[in-house]
Amino acid sequence: MIRTILCVVALILAFTAAPAAESPVRFGLTAVVVRDDLQLYDRWSSYLSKRVGRPVQFVQARSYREIMGLLQAGGLDFAWICGYPFVQQRDPETLELLAVPVYEGAPLYRSYIIVHRDSPISSLAEMKGRVFAFSDPDSNSGYLVPQAMLAERGHTPQSFFRLSFFTYSHAETIEAVAEGLAEGGAVDSYVWEYLDGNQPDLTARTRIIARSETFGFPPLVARLGIGPELRYAMSEALIGMTQDAEGRELLAQFALDGFAQYPPGLFDSIRDMADSLRQVPLVEPPPTQTVRVIGEVE
Amino acid sequence: MKIPLAHTAMIVGVALTIGVVVVAQAWVQFREELEEKVLLMGRDVAAAAPEAILRSDYWALYNALRQKASHLPARIGEPRLQSGMVLGLDGRVLAHLDPVNHPLGLPLAPEAETERRLLADALEVLTPSVIGGGGKDGDFIESIVPVTYNQQRLGVVRMRVSMDELKDRIWQAGFTVLFLTLGLAMAGSLLGAVISSRLVRRLKALSDGMQSVGRGEASQVRPLPADGRDEIGQVVDRFNEMAAELAEKKRLEEKLAISEKLAGLGQVAAGVAHEVNNPLGGMLNCIDTLKKHPDDPALVQRYLPLLEKGLNRIGATVRELLVELHEEATAKPCDLACLSDLKELVAAEIGDRRIELRWDNQVSDEMCLGCSCPNLQQVVLNLTNNSIQAMPEGGALAFRSSCENRSLVMEVEDSGVGIPLEHRRHLFEPFFTSRPNGTGLGLWVTYQLVRKMHGTIQVDSEPGRGSRFRIQLPLEIDATAEDTR
Repeated sequence: MIRTILCVVALILAFTAAPAAESPVRFGLTAVVVRDDLQLYDRWSSYLSKRVGRPVQFVQARSYREIMGLLQAGGLDFAWICGYPFVQQRDPETLELLAVPVYEGAPLYRSYIIVHRDSPISSLAEMKGRVFAFSDPDSNSGYLVPQAMLAERGHTPQSFFRLSFFTYSHAETIEAVAEGLAEGGAVDSYVWEYLDGNQPDLTARTRIIARSETFGFPPLVARLGIGPELRYAMSEALIGMTQDAEGRELLAQFALDGFAQYPPGLFDSIRDMADSLRQVPLVEPPPTQTVRVIGEVE
Repeated sequence: MKIPLAHTAMIVGVALTIGVVVVAQAWVQFREELEEKVLLMGRDVAAAAPEAILRSDYWALYNALRQKASHLPARIGEPRLQSGMVLGLDGRVLAHLDPVNHPLGLPLAPEAETERRLLADALEVLTPSVIGGGGKDGDFIESIVPVTYNQQRLGVVRMRVSMDELKDRIWQAGFTVLFLTLGLAMAGSLLGAVISSRLVRRLKALSDGMQSVGRGEASQVRPLPADGRDEIGQVVDRFNEMAAELAEKKRLEEKLAISEKLAGLGQVAAGVAHEVNNPLGGMLNCIDTLKKHPDDPALVQRYLPLLEKGLNRIGATVRELLVELHEEATAKPCDLACLSDLKELVAAEIGDRRIELRWDNQVSDEMCLGCSCPNLQQVVLNLTNNSIQAMPEGGALAFRSSCENRSLVMEVEDSGVGIPLEHRRHLFEPFFTSRPNGTGLGLWVTYQLVRKMHGTIQVDSEPGRGSRFRIQLPLEIDATAEDTR
């Protein structure tokens, strides 16, 4: 008798879960997080799927710009982007702040200027005429912040460095510096620290010569068109991760304290910095690249 | 020793030749493979390069270079990548596998003159090519592949691999071949030495055995050890059989000689007994009769000559038997003048018989013979007497003597009855005679004398037509002649 009841319950559960599988929630990822552990994202997607009630599919692209394009075109519902793209002017606005990661007690991070461990360089000023690696043209810590640092001295990357290039990934910027291809690089402090814990061999070949002031941590955003129920469900799922063991375990993997809601003003300092640099002509970023999909593929 | 050395030299020669050919082939093949690999690597990088160069995406370019370069296996003994780079047409570094020493964006500035020339050449290259050369890091192979986009050159990819590993491999192969060669040669020569020394030992034993047979020591030849069923073993077996047969034959011959000697002695004894006994019977009869009639002078008168005759006959027999003692006692060198005297004696012996004597003595009287004159005379007289006896109806008797090749040759020829074949075997035996009143000692004595003078005697005879005796005696017998006998 009990067995029959269990079977019925299982059937009901199966049927209720079935419609959710038809339209997955697409979640864009950028280089603000280290994306080499695919299993971690599978687990996170299944965790969020359970909480949201619909399958969650992570979509990964090489550049921020691709993710932003997809977001605005409706190809993505959510994305974990950088503060700089978030504050960029959109008319009409298409994005809404969903949650901000809390890192070491605050929703803040910095930009690190790194050099090779054996390099004699000890400040950004000594980097003149050298090769520098930026992460992404739309990255705050990986491009905007060092640009601002140079602007303080009346320089642009073109006038200051002999050569600079984009790696489109903080982790790869660290690698380019560690390999000696770039003599210096600008990276996200969270990514550097995360890798320092997970791949200490790589970060040990680099040295931090400058730390910027703090900025709002790369936020998670929602496309305005998705409707409040899904946005609410996702926001609750993210913020509630500290509430259960599985969520905490995932957060520990990301080396984050959790996700929380903050006002968009958190990123004003980035906007101000971008505005002040507006007069300075920016390096025209190269064309966009291919899109890679992680997680469930339809 | 020769055979093992030849074996060794042959094995070493063959193995070294094969080794050199194999190593040379391996070298050519390895090099070709390496050239192909390096060119492929260069092409790979050049194929991935245009987009990154156009976008100034140095990170992507570097990653492409690094990724293609990692295709070269890092195993020990595999060729090592010395350098890999992508250069702009102005010679600036767009990507380099050693970014620390060859910074991005700076012109590549090699110190060595050859490197500068290579660089200048590389920047002009229009089609993918492979070059070889030597530098401070050792010999290398380098592929130079231009990076083109829509038929426009953007730069050039240079991938350089070290040849040292290849050389090490070739050296290793060479050493392996060398050691194998030496090992094989050593084993081969050892084996060869064992085989051939065994062969040579057996052949030597065989040769020694044959030599001793050649020296007539058949009875002393010890059988060789029978060793195996191969060809030499068979020869050894045949040789042993032959040696055994020879030894047996020799033993039988010796046995036969002894028994012949004994038989001859018996014959002599029987002959002596017979010769002595014959007259003895008559003489004892005479004495018996004389004893019965001691006073009959007529009997004495009749029998005494008979007794005397019989005793003389016994005496003559004994004398002739003692010819050897007699000869030893009187032996002294003589000249050949005594031959001239013989003619008269022979003529007297012929007397009034109808026998023609042809005397042809061509020997000069001064020549000397190592024997006594009486002996020589007796030899001739014995032969002439026999000839005279062989011609009761008359005939011709010829004596010839001459000097040939340091020897005296004498021939006595008659036209008498000849000697029947069955008598010829016993011709020189004592007491063998074909005449009723013969003693059978004439030719025996002749033979003994000739033998004493180290000469030979030869008989040719044809029954009914006569006989010819030919005697050959060496002249001037001296010590050396004596030795060579």
